[in-house]
Amino acid sequence: MAARSQLTAKHQAPPEVVAAVFHGVTHSDTMAILVIEQVAGVLRVCWSNDRGGSLLGYALEDLTSLPAAHLFPSLAGAELKLLLRRERAVRMTLPVQSASGAPVDCAILATPVPGGRRWTVRLASTANETERALRATADAHERRFSTLTERSPIPTLLSEQGMRLAHVNDAFCALVDVQAEELLGTGWMSAVHPDDLELVIEQASAVLGGGDDGSDGEVQARLVRADGTERTTVFRFSHLFTPGVGAGFVGTIEDITERLAFEARLAHQANHDPLTGLPNRTLLAEHVASRFHPGDGRLACIFLDLDNFKVVNDSLGHAAGDQLLVELAQRLRATVRPGDLVARFGGDEFVVVCQDVTEQGAVRLAERIGEALRRPVALGGVELRPAASVGVTVQTDEHTAAEDLIRDCDIAMYQAKAAGKGRITVLDSDARAQARDKLRLVAELREAIEQREITCVYQPIFSTEDGTAVAVESLARWQHPVRGSISPSTFVPLAEESGLVSGLGLLVLDETCRQLAEWDQELGMAAPARANVNVSALQLDANLPGHVESALVRHGLHPCRLSIELTESALMKDPGAARQVLLQLRDLGVQISIDDFGTGYSSLAYLRHLPVDCLKVDRSFVAELADGHPEITSAVIALARSLGLCTVAEGVETLEQAEELTRLGATYLQGFSLAEPLTGSAAAAWFAVQHAAEVLP
Amino acid sequence: MTASAAPSLAPTLAVAPTFDLERVLASIDSMAAQRPVAAQIVSVANSDQASAKELSRILGADVALASRVMKLANSAFYGMRGRVTSLQFAVTVIGFATVRTMATVALTDLDDESRLPEGFWEVSTSLALAASTLAPRFAERPQDALCLGLLAQLGVALLHHNDPIGYADLWAGERSFAGRRYAEVQRYGISALRLTSVALEQWSFPAGMVAPLQMVDDPASFQGALLRSCFEIAGRLTDDDHEDIPIERVSCGQLKERDVLPVLDQVRLDAEELRRALLG
Repeated sequence: MAARSQLTAKHQAPPEVVAAVFHGVTHSDTMAILVIEQVAGVLRVCWSNDRGGSLLGYALEDLTSLPAAHLFPSLAGAELKLLLRRERAVRMTLPVQSASGAPVDCAILATPVPGGRRWTVRLASTANETERALRATADAHERRFSTLTERSPIPTLLSEQGMRLAHVNDAFCALVDVQAEELLGTGWMSAVHPDDLELVIEQASAVLGGGDDGSDGEVQARLVRADGTERTTVFRFSHLFTPGVGAGFVGTIEDITERLAFEARLAHQANHDPLTGLPNRTLLAEHVASRFHPGDGRLACIFLDLDNFKVVNDSLGHAAGDQLLVELAQRLRATVRPGDLVARFGGDEFVVVCQDVTEQGAVRLAERIGEALRRPVALGGVELRPAASVGVTVQTDEHTAAEDLIRDCDIAMYQAKAAGKGRITVLDSDARAQARDKLRLVAELREAIEQREITCVYQPIFSTEDGTAVAVESLARWQHPVRGSISPSTFVPLAEESGLVSGLGLLVLDETCRQLAEWDQELGMAAPARANVNVSALQLDANLPGHVESALVRHGLHPCRLSIELTESALMKDPGAARQVLLQLRDLGVQISIDDFGTGYSSLAYLRHLPVDCLKVDRSFVAELADGHPEITSAVIALARSLGLCTVAEGVETLEQAEELTRLGATYLQGFSLAEPLTGSAAAAWFAVQHAAEVLP
Repeated sequence: MTASAAPSLAPTLAVAPTFDLERVLASIDSMAAQRPVAAQIVSVANSDQASAKELSRILGADVALASRVMKLANSAFYGMRGRVTSLQFAVTVIGFATVRTMATVALTDLDDESRLPEGFWEVSTSLALAASTLAPRFAERPQDALCLGLLAQLGVALLHHNDPIGYADLWAGERSFAGRRYAEVQRYGISALRLTSVALEQWSFPAGMVAPLQMVDDPASFQGALLRSCFEIAGRLTDDDHEDIPIERVSCGQLKERDVLPVLDQVRLDAEELRRALLG
C-alpha cells in the first residue's frame, strides 16, 4: 500500500493538467486508447477514445463493456494474463478483432494502472499505408535480387553468417550437379576438392573478417561434381554486411576448366614438336636450366643426328621422312630411363637429357639408343636401317651454364659425324677447349666486322701487254689485338660457318670502293683503273647486285671500276640462279671473274652461258710451270681466248714464270714477284711512282 | 488454435495446485538481474546499430558466454576450422541473432541440463537444425530459423523450473509435441510454446521469430508451417514411438516426404555437435 501511495503521489498533477491530457487523449486521431477493467472476475473494456472506436469499427457505446477476450481471440483462456500483467507493462503484436470480425494487426502496449484492476491499452495498427508501401518496395527489391541471382548464369553463393550458405543459385547447383538443399549450410564445402578447401576457407574468412571496407578475395580451387569429375574454378568473395544480422559473403565462381585446358594445349604446343609430340628446343632448354647446378655434375646430354636423313627425304619423300622421325622418336622414348627427357632439337636431331648418370652410364645409354635406332624400319616398301651420329657430354666443373652442356654435346655429335657417322663420341676436354676457342674467335670476328677492324690490302695486277699495273685485287686482313695476324684461310671459312660472311663481304666491298674513290682524289689518272673484290658463294644471291650498286653509288664510282671475283664452285652450286645474278651484275656494268679456275668441277657448257669477263688461272697451275708442266695453264688461257675472255694468272713468283705466261697469252699477271699486297696508302705511293715512270720513261 | 489431432491426454495430469503463471512471468524479468551481460546482449543485439565490435565488447565481460561463442564459431557447424581467434570475428561468424540466442540460453539457465527435462537439448538442436536447413523453402533466413529452433522450448524450461516434478511427469507421459502442448494448457493454462513467445516478445525479439510460435498449432497458418514441420522432424528423430504425420500436411504443402530424408540425415549428423558447441 505504501508503494502504491508513493506511485500515486509521483504522478499527481494539477486537475487542469489531468483534464488537458484526458482531453487530448479523448480526441486524438492517431492514438487508439482503451481502458480495460476487471469486474466480477471478467475483463471488459470500460472506456475507449474516439480513435479506438474508429480503428475497430465500433460505436463507442458498443465498445464499452465489451469483454476483452472478444477483442483478443488469439489469447485464449488464461493467456489474456500474458497481456494484462499487474506488475509491468507488456508489449505484444496481436490481431485485434474488429466489429466486422476482421482482425486488425496491432502493436499493443498494455500498462497496468495502480490498483491492479485496470489497464490502459494503446493500439497502433501495424498495417498503415506507408509501412505497407515500404514493405512492398522491400519485397519487390528482394524479388528482383532473388530473380537476378537465381537466373544468373554465374554460379553464386550467398552466406549470411560464417561459412554457412543461405542461398545458392541454379548455376552453382548445375556446376556441381548437386541439389541446392545439399549445398546449403556447410554442405557446399563438400563440393570443394579436399586439397583446396583450406585455401577457400582461408580466403572466405579473410573476407568475412574484412569489415565493411569492401574487401574482396580470390582463390583458385577445384570443385568435385556429383559424378566425381573435377572442375577448376576461381572463387571471388565479397564482404556482405546486413545491419542487425552480421557479416557474410557473396561468392561468385568462374569455371576456368576449359580455359586452363586451352592454355595447357597452347603451352604444350609451344613446348612440343607437333610431329613427334616430343618436347621441343624451348622445353629442352628449360628442362636443362631447371636441373643444372654448376659444379654438381649430375646431368648428361646425348645429342643424336640421324645419318643420311636427307637421302630418305629426297628419295622417299617428306611424308616418309616424317614417318621415320615419328618411329624413331617412339624408339627413343621407349629406350631411355624413366625420368630422362627426349627432345626433338630440330630437323633430324634429338637430345636426351639424363640425371644422376656417369659418363660410362651415358655412353651405355647412347649405345642402347644406337641399337634401338638401327632396328629395321619399312618405309614405302623399302627397308631402312637408321643410324645416328651421337655426341655425349657429362656435366663437369667447366660447365658454368646449362646451355654449355647442350652446346658441348652438339660439338661431340659433329665430331662423331666428322669421324665417319654412326659413331658415339664423348666430348673430351681438348675438343671442348678447341670448340670454345673457336666460339670465342667467332665472337671476336663479329666484333671485328662491326668495328671495321677487318682491313683491306691491295695487290697490283699487271698487263702483259705493256707491263703496267692496271688493277688491284682487294684482300681482307685481320690483325687480332691478341692473336696477331689471322689468315683469311682461317677467318673466311669461319665467317661462312657462322653466318658472318655477308657482313664481311659487304665490309670488303665498301672499303674497296671507298679506297678507290680516295685514290681517284689523290692520284687522279695514276689511280688503279679497277679493283677486284672476292665474293663468297654464300653471298651469291639476288641481293648481291643491289649491294654492289649501292656501294658504287655511295662512293661515286663507275661500275667499270669494279670486278667481282667468284669461285667456280660457287657458280656451279646453282648455275641457273648464279647466271641470273651475274646477268644483273653485267647489266650494272661491273666485270665478273672466275677465281681459281680449273680447281673445281667446272662445267664448260655452263661456262659458255655465263656472262663472265675473265678467268683467273689458279696459282697451283702457275706453279707447275716451274716444273715444266705448262699444259693446264696453257689450256685454260687458250680456252679463255676461244671464249673471248681475258685471263689473270695468279701466284706469279718469278720473272721466268711471268715471261712464260706472257708467251702463253695470259692477259694479266699477279704475284709476289711482281708486287706484294699493299695497304691503301702504300698502294697510293706505289701507283704514283709507277705512273711517274710511265709518263717519264 | 489447438492442434489438429486430438492428443491423448494423461488423465492423471491436473492443474498444478501450486503453479502460479504470474510468478513464472515475473521470473522472466528477474532473470536479467542475475545475468546482466547476457541481458544486455539480448537487449542490444537486435538493433540495426548493433556491431560486432560492440557486441564483442559487451560479451567480453562474461567469460563463460564469450568462450561458448568462440567455441560455437569454431565448431564444424560454421565450417571455420579453428580460424576464429578473436571474439569480434566470432560474433561476425555466428551472427548477431545467434549471439543473442546464446545470451538467452545463458539468461534462462537453458545451459544447465540438470534443470531441464530429459532429452531437452536433443529436441532443441533437432528443431534448430531442421529449421535452419528447411528455412529457404519457407522463405526464411536459415540463421533466424536456427535461433527460433534453439529457443522454441524456452517455455518448457520455464515450466520445468517452476514445477520440476509435475512437468517432468508431463514430459515423460506425453511424447508427442501437440499432446504436450495440450497437456500444458490443461495443467498450467498456457502452453510452453506460448510462454516462449511471451518471453521472446518481452525481450523484443523480432516479430518474425515470435509469430511462428503463436501460429504453430493453426494447421492452416503458413507462418507456423516451418516450426510445425520441424517439430514433426524432431519427433521422428528423437522419439522411437513417434507416429508420423504426413509432412505435406504440416508444412502447408511446402515439403514432400522425399525432402525429409536428407534433412533427417543431416540433422542427425549435426545435432550432437551443435549441442556440445552450445553448452560447452
